[in-house]
Amino acid sequence: MASALIEFRNVAFSFGDEPLLRDVSFQIQKGEAFSLIGPSGQGKSVVMKLMAGLLTPTAGEVLIDGRSLVTLRGKDREQLLCRMGMLFQKNALFDSLTVGENVAFPLREVRQAPEAEITEAIQFYLEAVGILHAKDLFPDEISGGMQKRLGIARALALKPEIVLYDDPTAGLDPITSRKIIQLIIDLRQEYGSTVVAITNDMNRAYQLGGRIAMVVDGGVIVTGDHDQTLAHPDPRVRQFIRGQLEGPLAGSGTVTT
Amino acid sequence: MIAGFRAIVDDVGGGLLFLGQMFSTALHYRPKSHVVFDQIWKVTLNSLSTTALAGFFVGAIMTVQFTLQVKEFGALGYLGGLATSGTIREVGPLLIAFMLSGKVGAFTSAELGTMRVTEQIDAVRCLGANPFQEIILPRYIAIILSSFFLLAVGLFMSIAGGLLLGVVFSGITAEEYLRHIPTIVTLPSIVSGLFKCLVFALVLASICTYKGFTTTGGAKGVGRAVVATAVATMVGLVIADFVTTLIAEAILSMAMQA
Ligand SMILES: Nc1ncnc2c1ncn2[C@@H]1O[C@H](COP(=O)(O)OP(=O)(O)OP(=O)(O)O)[C@@H](O)[C@H]1O
Ligand SMILES: [Mg+2]
Repeated sequence: MASALIEFRNVAFSFGDEPLLRDVSFQIQKGEAFSLIGPSGQGKSVVMKLMAGLLTPTAGEVLIDGRSLVTLRGKDREQLLCRMGMLFQKNALFDSLTVGENVAFPLREVRQAPEAEITEAIQFYLEAVGILHAKDLFPDEISGGMQKRLGIARALALKPEIVLYDDPTAGLDPITSRKIIQLIIDLRQEYGSTVVAITNDMNRAYQLGGRIAMVVDGGVIVTGDHDQTLAHPDPRVRQFIRGQLEGPLAGSGTVTT
Repeated sequence: MIAGFRAIVDDVGGGLLFLGQMFSTALHYRPKSHVVFDQIWKVTLNSLSTTALAGFFVGAIMTVQFTLQVKEFGALGYLGGLATSGTIREVGPLLIAFMLSGKVGAFTSAELGTMRVTEQIDAVRCLGANPFQEIILPRYIAIILSSFFLLAVGLFMSIAGGLLLGVVFSGITAEEYLRHIPTIVTLPSIVSGLFKCLVFALVLASICTYKGFTTTGGAKGVGRAVVATAVATMVGLVIADFVTTLIAEAILSMAMQA
């Protein structure tokens, strides 16, 4: 029970009056590659931001390695957050810094690493995501796919134990998407980190290879691995993974977007 | 009416909480000196030429105005002292504050607002850094330190401007213009000028960082934040001017009695 790396305990969340999440509980174990799927606008990004401590639940607790993000304060909290890296859905790159400096930022500001080590790290991480040639450009001078890669490189720069990827393949062509997921898998194997990834593409969720959970109707349904998900009895899950128009999800965000 | 009042109270309350968080950050974390110097450099360089120009003309205007008034009393010798004292006590600090609110205030709230709506501030937090330490505090400190430096530059230029007009317009010599500056510009008036400058800079820096930091709602939100900064800063400065004048007056009269 206490061994879960990430745990949601009866979490509720709302923006204003409308409840978005109701009584959500699930656990992610150390070393998992966990995929979050679900219709647009149902709260996948919100779930991830709760994990990262960027949003505070209106009720319940989010525990990272057994410690509650809700009650932790100050330096302890920052130390815990240092163990997590996050790729934002819209990248959130520092647009006044160059590509290289974006990767250097956490090392320079948080770890206060010596310059030699920083130069080496920039080289290493940009190489790993394949954008070393763009080191001195600014984020708005590189393509969308390169921005995603940069976001990934920055998230990894502190060698986090937990890496959160919000839609790492959004807006990318199928081949690049595949490559990025492969990159995430490789990096995970290399560092032995725990990965949580949001995706709207079932094939990418299968490619990632771990458990899958669906965020829908204010809840998180953990559907299990590839086969378990395919055979899942919940009609909403069946409809979503097959991409059918008819079904219980018809009135929700899937249709309007 | 009630709703409007509540909004103002909410805003002020939110601002005070924000300041509280900033000062507690300042106590527990050292601001990054390289970022602070970067910001000071930016703010100062940004406003240096306009401040110098404005300072020059303020000195010139004050001299012309005072000339018209003191001429009939044959007190042209006091011209330099009067103009300089007026500049340091009132016009200088206010001028610097308005100048900075147009340039640095608007810039800072737009910059922070954009960082907020593009989630860059969240990203800073997510990387285990403290946004107050990394982003807010350096800008805050820079605005305050720069405003003192700019006040000095503005003052110096106003003496230059006044001197020029004193010679050209009022027909006194440079030596006459400068002679009474030390007698009229006393220590208390310098202190009250610096005090005003500090208070204005605090008002300005607090409003633009708070409004920028709490921006919501995309490009429109950033626009709103900039407008709100401009309005709140103007109102805040006028009120601060009134209050500081009262305080300075009280201190001055106490100093006289002592
Ligand atoms: N800052 C915010 N203020 C108010 N409402 C918000 C905010 N952010 C998100 N929401 C609302 O919360 C709901 C869930 O948003 P979220 O971004 O988590 O969706 P998502 O599942 O990630 O969708 P997508 O797949 O499109 O990214 C949406 O209905 C959205 O309108
Ligand atoms: Mg999302």
